[in-house]
Amino acid sequence: MDNGATMHLAVSLFAETADPSPEPEFSRLAGLVQKAEAAGLDMVVLADSAPASGGEADKQMPFEATTLLAALATVTSKIGLVAAASTIAHQPYNLARRFASLDIISHGRSGWNATMAQAPREATNFSRPEGFSDTDFRRRTEEYIGIVQGLWRGWDADALLFDKSAGRFHIPEKMHLLDHKGEFFSVRGPLNVARSPQDTPVLVLSGLSEADLDISARTADVILLESGSVEGAKARYDDLRRRVAACGRDPVAVKLLVNVSPTDGGPTVAADRLAEQFQSKSCDGFNIQLPAQRSALDEFADLVVPDLRRRGLFRENYRGTTLRSHLGLSGGGEQ
Amino acid sequence: MTAQMKLGAFLWATGHHIAAWRHPKAHVTAGIDIDHYIQLARTAEAAKFDMIFCEDAAGLREANIDIASQTSRSIGFEPISLLSALAAQTSRIGLVSTASTSYNEPYGLARTFLSLDHLSGGRAGWNLVTSASPIEAANFGATGLKPHADRYERAREFAEVVTGLWRGKASGHDGQSFSVRDPLDLPRSPQGAPVMVQAGASDVGRDLAARTADVVFTAAQTFEEAKAFYDDLKGRMAAYGREPDDIKIMPGVSPVVAETAAEAREKHEELQALIPDDVGVALLSSYLSISDLGRYPIDGPLPELPESEGMKSRQALVVEQSRRDGLSIRQLARHFAGARGHWRIVGTAAQVADELQARFEGGAADGFNVMPSYFPGELDAFATLVVPELQRRGLFRWDYEGRTLRDHLGLKRPD
Repeated sequence: MDNGATMHLAVSLFAETADPSPEPEFSRLAGLVQKAEAAGLDMVVLADSAPASGGEADKQMPFEATTLLAALATVTSKIGLVAAASTIAHQPYNLARRFASLDIISHGRSGWNATMAQAPREATNFSRPEGFSDTDFRRRTEEYIGIVQGLWRGWDADALLFDKSAGRFHIPEKMHLLDHKGEFFSVRGPLNVARSPQDTPVLVLSGLSEADLDISARTADVILLESGSVEGAKARYDDLRRRVAACGRDPVAVKLLVNVSPTDGGPTVAADRLAEQFQSKSCDGFNIQLPAQRSALDEFADLVVPDLRRRGLFRENYRGTTLRSHLGLSGGGEQ
Repeated sequence: MTAQMKLGAFLWATGHHIAAWRHPKAHVTAGIDIDHYIQLARTAEAAKFDMIFCEDAAGLREANIDIASQTSRSIGFEPISLLSALAAQTSRIGLVSTASTSYNEPYGLARTFLSLDHLSGGRAGWNLVTSASPIEAANFGATGLKPHADRYERAREFAEVVTGLWRGKASGHDGQSFSVRDPLDLPRSPQGAPVMVQAGASDVGRDLAARTADVVFTAAQTFEEAKAFYDDLKGRMAAYGREPDDIKIMPGVSPVVAETAAEAREKHEELQALIPDDVGVALLSSYLSISDLGRYPIDGPLPELPESEGMKSRQALVVEQSRRDGLSIRQLARHFAGARGHWRIVGTAAQVADELQARFEGGAADGFNVMPSYFPGELDAFATLVVPELQRRGLFRWDYEGRTLRDHLGLKRPD
């Protein structure tokens, strides 16, 4: 694997006034994701509209992200599908189940995008009008992530026997209780969904502040960061690698993708920018933030991506079938 | 046109029979095979079923780890993600999932089901349950199951908030269990609001259904039980300003059907013989909400039971049947393992159709939730043998009349 040589490309589609189209909205979005798949992108990140964040009604996708992911999984076969889901809106057991199930539906192509930043006012719709203090929210999120990842590992990969004649469906010793008792949650487990085809769904963290870097280094597979200055970005990347190694993990076990919005100047300028930033070794790739419109995606997929390929910066084809294999993460496709 | 019955295809793991997964023709990897479910959904849609129905529990089904490992029910798809996937692979059939009012918040659940409704073009429904299992409770920080009445009070408030959100209610809610500030951030449902399904059969459960349900799923062994439940529930509706036809009552039925009656009996016996005694007794114990039925003689009668905080109505049903038919624990266990307390018919397509017709025309059901004993074989058998028989008798549709689940069920579109 030449993980160092190929950049990782994700695309986030944010709601925008839809293309004038007689198609149902799901079919339109499915077409966009199929286009991203044809371009060989690692993954699509599906935002979940933050309730009461002041979004305009006509710019909102009519779907909640995890349900949208499930439907998209059946009309794609290669591309990774990552959905945002809030730690306020879901109980950890329910969220772990949802993503474990999505990962089986997608044959190992799913990921959970968790944010470390509390959405303003969200808690007011979830019977928590007072919300959480920033430090409580951080501790709660860290505990939450630990529960979800622990539940995802509750069934060993070889736990299921399917032995009809002996009457043994699974091996009891290969199913593990979590027995978590923490500050915010207590969860006994195990999950009632089988082990993921890619070991565990991919954890994508965003909304990070400085104080979240150690949590990310311990738990994340991918982190999404805003772009900064070139010098700052290099130091930040090296710092993250050190923190990951300090947790006893392989320093390349966490992929840092930088959020990038398309700029004026056309595809060559866009490719130049991505190439420069990637070659300065300040990130593992990019999360391209595009409006959910065909024209914007077409330009990136048809012009920028081939340019990056010509420069030898992006792989020609998918090399595996799981999101972990696209990202060069362990656990992908080895099950 | 005379009234026609409604049909649900209740999909569950390898089948509704506890030993289904051991049947030579059962698809044993159902719980990890999405293509299997897509195939089942297409079979049900081709047969013009009103809906697919999925039940749910947020935890293992069996407290005993060894018993759990002898069933196929410890792993499976989470139903909302499953139905969202099926939404993209079907075009007409309704998609109904169970979800708990005890372990969700109304804003998130209303939003998720509304999303499923948009993905499917107006084919979604929510089966409200309050969750009666202490195994589930332990996954949500609870040290014990909350009393029945408390769960239902929470469920009542939950349902009120959800239906308000689906109808675009703009002002906030500040109640005993929940507070919600904003309206939903998704557009209105293509069918006005997702369909609301309920299954609670206790007194407080029936009141909640009479007030809020569009469909009620129930368990009834005999015509008399089914008729009594039907009349009671429909009778409660006027108090809430609703017409009897505003709720479709669909008892569960677990048919074993074959070309001849002898073949059907043989098929049934083949499944019954696959149930290990300890598994059957454990299943019966969980339906009775007691933990230690295994310490009573297996060929003796059911002991006296304390009233449960779990599933009150189910317990009463089992006790009633054991007394009526003089069944031992072993016999009762096998009987309930087969259809999980639901009505079972073993016979030819004509015999099954006769029984369904009698309950439908006798005013004991508006339709049926069909619980195939194993998949895919018994769903195929119902679709290819029983459905055409019902169609010939004018009791079931030849094709869908509309696009949405409310269209199929003949339900009013809410304001």
